[in-house]
Amino acid sequence: MNINKEILLIASLAIPLVFSILIWVVGGAKKTKPLYTVHALAAVMTSAAGLMSIQFASKGETITALNDFIFIDPVGAVFIAIISIVGLLTNLYSIKYISWELESNEIEFRDARLFFSLCHLFIFTMLLSVMSNNIVLMWVAVEATTLSSVFLVSLYRKKSSVEGGWKYIVICSIGLAFALYGTILLYGSSLRIIGNAHEAMLWTSLAMHGGELNPDVMKIVFVFFLIGYGTKAGLAPMHTWLPDAHAEGPAPASALLSAVLLKCAMAAIIRFYTVAVLSPETLAFVKTCLMSVGLFSIVIAALFILKQRDIKRMFAYSSTENLGIISVAMAFGGKLGLFAMFFHVMNHSLTKSLAFCTSGNIQHIHGTRDMSKMGGLFKTAPVTAVLLAIAIFSLVGLPPMAIFTSEFYAIMAGVQAGDYLAVAILFVGLGIVFYGLVSHFNRIAFGRKPKNIKNPGEVSFAANLPLLALAVLVCTIGIFPPEWWTALLNNAVAEILQNP
Amino acid sequence: MNMNIDMITTTSIIMAVLSFLVFETRNLKRATLLYALQTFALVAIFLILGMKYQISTLFIWSATAFVTKVVLVPWIILNLIKKTGITYEEAPFIGVYNPFLSIGMALTVALILYPVFLKFSLIKLHIPLAVSILVFMMGILGMVFRKSAIKQILSYCLFENGAHLTLALTAYNAPETVEIGILTDAIFAVVIMAALGFRFFRYFGSFDTSQAKELKG
Repeated sequence: MNINKEILLIASLAIPLVFSILIWVVGGAKKTKPLYTVHALAAVMTSAAGLMSIQFASKGETITALNDFIFIDPVGAVFIAIISIVGLLTNLYSIKYISWELESNEIEFRDARLFFSLCHLFIFTMLLSVMSNNIVLMWVAVEATTLSSVFLVSLYRKKSSVEGGWKYIVICSIGLAFALYGTILLYGSSLRIIGNAHEAMLWTSLAMHGGELNPDVMKIVFVFFLIGYGTKAGLAPMHTWLPDAHAEGPAPASALLSAVLLKCAMAAIIRFYTVAVLSPETLAFVKTCLMSVGLFSIVIAALFILKQRDIKRMFAYSSTENLGIISVAMAFGGKLGLFAMFFHVMNHSLTKSLAFCTSGNIQHIHGTRDMSKMGGLFKTAPVTAVLLAIAIFSLVGLPPMAIFTSEFYAIMAGVQAGDYLAVAILFVGLGIVFYGLVSHFNRIAFGRKPKNIKNPGEVSFAANLPLLALAVLVCTIGIFPPEWWTALLNNAVAEILQNP
Repeated sequence: MNMNIDMITTTSIIMAVLSFLVFETRNLKRATLLYALQTFALVAIFLILGMKYQISTLFIWSATAFVTKVVLVPWIILNLIKKTGITYEEAPFIGVYNPFLSIGMALTVALILYPVFLKFSLIKLHIPLAVSILVFMMGILGMVFRKSAIKQILSYCLFENGAHLTLALTAYNAPETVEIGILTDAIFAVVIMAALGFRFFRYFGSFDTSQAKELKG
């Protein structure tokens, strides 16, 4: 039985990696149909293996493999669920999106081949980052997410794409360099307590010895982690790469970056939080840092959302805002705060994936990302307009949408913690975001229809199908969360709070 | 024994000086060769540490670092320079004050942080540890302050070398896969940055990243 679990764990990692190579090989024939078929098959198989591998974690079990180097615990399983669900639907949507780009000569066949191959390599690196039990392997995996996705950002052969990609790799590399130093210091500190070099690098061991680690050193480690993984997660003020990278890549790549990658970076911070929980002094420091950075991210992002004209940049700033909410929920802490944090991670992923993919539809229809040149979407493409409405309504936290529920829990956790000032700032930030997003939506959906629309009319049903599935999830997961999902979240919270 | 320690200290100081020269040399080809030399100093430190403390892992580290970072990485960067024909770096941000400010900041951070790392270091050598953080910071500041894409790649290599030395001093006993993972990442990072750098040159006609102003707000 144990061997089967290990095999499942390794298979869920290996499948996207193998398919990444296979797609590259199949793409050599320069035919689109086999490329699309293998890509779709890869997406389905990766998702199936991912969801199967987390079934044990949703019962509170942790499985390990490869000499404890990789593992699936309830915390990691939350992120694997996101990668599996959002990854599947985004990858399926990308087939139609890339075919549009090929038809309009925005990209060449070799770019499409590179895109599909990198998508699966990117998913492999993200899975590895959340499955790494070894702290250095996790760092290696997070750095590899940058390397595997930089040409997704720079796929289009134009100046702005190269600029976005360059900023992405430079800024994230600088940030992650600090995270590496934090990792080395964490290892040095834990080796003294744990004694065994292998064990001292494992999150599972660190979580057990969190209370014995020197709190002063842990504070320095956390600062390094926050700069490093916080940069990758798009938290302000280290977020400057994010709007450029998210805006310049193809819409499905932006969806993967925003909906999944940012969360994988956040997972590293959550792992540290698990270690800090057993030391009240460290935890208090961690919470203060997370609260400051989180609130700052929300307010800065809210102000930038107001002045955006580019629809994808607007959604990119909304990602910074939502990662801020995740930080704030973690800072509120307690069962409710951590539950809200995990729930928000999934809700934002679903919503943002829908938002970016819908922006892909809109860009295809209008031939631009400039919102001032859009209007009358309900008349031009009613289904896309409804999808956009669902994404926006969820992002602004309207009931019964997904994000409403997790934001509500986060605010309740703040009230429960007695942190009224933070709750007030959170409300102000959310208010600005509400005004900004709704006014932009109003212009796109009901504004005057422009005279020259590139592709008037609704996009095909095949393109909209994965987005409709995302929309259904966004509308229902908040009020009718599946039982296995709630169980998984509760186990993830318990793992953080009840480590022996 | 003492001679070994003196050799380590001397080589570390040479490494620090070479880092500064990589940072400051405007001729890109020369800066790349200086980087190769600086990495060679790192390889030498690994070898001396390995001999002094009887750590066989560090011999392997020195061999892999030689092949990948003394030979392969400089070869990739020199190829990029040859392909584009751009041999000189653009003036950095804040001009003549740049080296003074950078070395000052790097030194300050190194002096503040190295006692913390020393506390947990497996090999407790003050100067090499301080140098490792200094080199790391020089690399970080190079990425921030230099405009040339090639200089930014070299800066990445610098901070990677700094981190590599810190790792050798504080965690040489870590599982071998850890070092392999970090090194593989570093090589791929240089390859990808070089490929993107070439694309940058094709669209902007130079390596001057300050020209990239399409994206704002």
